[in-house]
Amino acid sequence: MSRELSYAEAIREAMDIALGEDERVILMGEDIGVYGGAFQVTGDLIDKYGPDRVMDTPISELGGAGVAVGAAMTGLRPIFEFQFSDFATLAMEQIVNQAAKVRYMLGGAVSIPLVMRFPAGSGTGAAAQHSQSIEAWLAHVPGLKVVQPATPHDAKGLLLAALDDPDPVMIFEHKLLYKMKGAVPEGRYTVPIGTAELRREGSDVTIVATSIMVHKALEAAKALAEDGIDCEVIDLRTIRPIDRETVLASVRKTSRLICVYEAVKTLGIGAEISAMVAESDAFDYLDAPIVRLGGAECPIPYNPDLEKAAVPQVPDIIAATRDLVEGRR
Amino acid sequence: MPVVVIMPKVDMDMSHGTVSAWHVAAGGAVTKGDPLFDIETDKAAMEVESPGTGTLHHIIANIGDTVAIGEPIAWIYAEGEAVGDAPQGPAKAAEAPAPADKDEPPTPAPTPDQISDSAQNGETGLRATPLARRLARERQLNLSDLRGTGPRGRIQAQDVPKKAATPAHPTSKGHTTGQTPILLIHGFASDPASWARLERELGQRHIIRMELPAHGRLTGDVPDSFADLARRMRDAFDDLGQENVHLVGHSLGAAAALAIADVRPRQIASLTLISPAGLGPEINGAAITGVAGAPRVESLGPWLRTLAHDPDLITDAYVRAIMAQRQNPAVRQAQLALADAVFPDGVQAFDLRAALDRVDMPTRIIWGRNDRIIPWKHALSAPGRVSLNLFERTGHMPHIEKPAEIAFLLRQRGE
Repeated sequence: MSRELSYAEAIREAMDIALGEDERVILMGEDIGVYGGAFQVTGDLIDKYGPDRVMDTPISELGGAGVAVGAAMTGLRPIFEFQFSDFATLAMEQIVNQAAKVRYMLGGAVSIPLVMRFPAGSGTGAAAQHSQSIEAWLAHVPGLKVVQPATPHDAKGLLLAALDDPDPVMIFEHKLLYKMKGAVPEGRYTVPIGTAELRREGSDVTIVATSIMVHKALEAAKALAEDGIDCEVIDLRTIRPIDRETVLASVRKTSRLICVYEAVKTLGIGAEISAMVAESDAFDYLDAPIVRLGGAECPIPYNPDLEKAAVPQVPDIIAATRDLVEGRR
Repeated sequence: MPVVVIMPKVDMDMSHGTVSAWHVAAGGAVTKGDPLFDIETDKAAMEVESPGTGTLHHIIANIGDTVAIGEPIAWIYAEGEAVGDAPQGPAKAAEAPAPADKDEPPTPAPTPDQISDSAQNGETGLRATPLARRLARERQLNLSDLRGTGPRGRIQAQDVPKKAATPAHPTSKGHTTGQTPILLIHGFASDPASWARLERELGQRHIIRMELPAHGRLTGDVPDSFADLARRMRDAFDDLGQENVHLVGHSLGAAAALAIADVRPRQIASLTLISPAGLGPEINGAAITGVAGAPRVESLGPWLRTLAHDPDLITDAYVRAIMAQRQNPAVRQAQLALADAVFPDGVQAFDLRAALDRVDMPTRIIWGRNDRIIPWKHALSAPGRVSLNLFERTGHMPHIEKPAEIAFLLRQRGE
């Protein structure tokens, strides 16, 4: 059975299922208990599972993350929530030097089955220190898996898949998606980590998008279809490990590639996708330069107009796609 | 003085060659007449012999480099000769200068300005997408022959002519807007590349080339009669979907063109028959089977020379280039079988004079008075409204021997 849930409700349902099924699962984070989480994602789960399993942590990301890593190392399945993904900077030691490394440094004797949730992205007027998209930073670290669900369905399925994973999985949730509604099956299901999803089939150009950009790309594709430009839209879903074959197969089909992502354009996921295509046999299928649409080279501005202008919007995707397909690039 | 090694002209239509292998490394000993390097042209791969004896130095055209004919690519120093300063890099794809005299010292390397100038025109400055490059590779087309319609002249996939959807393997080039296309059908044992000279004279035109069955890539299924061949060519013409073309054919291709015009008259704006078959029984059967069946250059050369009035037009290098395309015994077998079907025992087994009487679009016959394959007097059987253009000192291949004149004729009616 499937019904409409919001993205935040879908995540909460996934956590509820996990808490109910497996007593090793615990939630940790600042204000996730009585307050229900900075974005009300955990909601009233504390009422159902109590403060031993839905734990408010002190205002120290480094301390909380360290406890979560240790808990994972000693047999629990913690889900650690950051209030804003920007605060990952405070916990980098635990994420990068401990969670990602311990399995390797102990010769595989232990693993860190840790899930971390990062509310990410701009658009809420929260300014430079609360609006970043830093998923590519963590995706650069071997030992971490990084996912970016774009729909309520995937938010639930990827969270449950992350809990099944023996290694640390970082989940970046776009803040503007929390209220988005979509069909979500009841009960347990998983979306495999490392698989992209073809959101729209098309023949003229492949748009590889992540997170909220998937929806902007789909909106652009709809408008472009009226002009006879047939876009294929891939929701990458996981940025480490990348679903190489889905992207390459699509590029072989359409011969054109646009990468759309909210994070700063330079040295980001778009560069990785572009290089992956250029290094592969799909290179020989490219009939136009690769295009990246990413965030501006600046901190996210507080001014609402500038905030919008700093990340790709639907008209940007339409214009870039039209230029590419109509041979102006 | 060192002997200069130049990019040789081994093919009549060749302007550049690509070095595909060196048999001797720089500093190695070479002997005049021994294989020195291999080149690839639009048509063929060839081995080139050393022009001198001594030591090879200053190789400036490396493997994969494309060089204009006549350009120096290395020098050979005689024993004891002092080796000069190495020249600095080839004038890749520059306009071909007069071939350097072997006794001249190495020409100075071009200045960077010269290189960038030439690069704008030549292949080194060519823009093509990876997909266009791959398609051209697969379809055995030369990128420098294609016109890019993308930004800054970039060649895109849409600029690379498609592979044959039909047995007659049409290829298309030039502008596609406004003008009525010219459709070319080559002759027996020839190929679409034989039109290159005429196409150059025609300038920027929309040109479509069709390939005869049992030729080029189409050796699988040999027609068993002229009627069979004509039917296949008609089907291929229909598949082209062209509503109006100027149709030009040579020899057996002219017979095919006449057969198409006979059944599709409303789609043919004009008909030009060059040295056409089908207008009388006589044909030089020995030359036909000689060209089609010759397995090596020694046997092919004498027959090829019967095609042109001036045998010097058919150089040894040209014969080698043609032979290189005919290395595959299956190609020769297919063409011998076709010759046996349409020209059995040295006789033209089909007669298109009735068709020539029927066609009513503007029609001309072009013939060389010195044709040694099909007698030009067959043209005299044409009805009075068909124009006849005869060329002196011209053999069976006016489009190769007199391309400028043929282009002039084709232009007269706005073709």
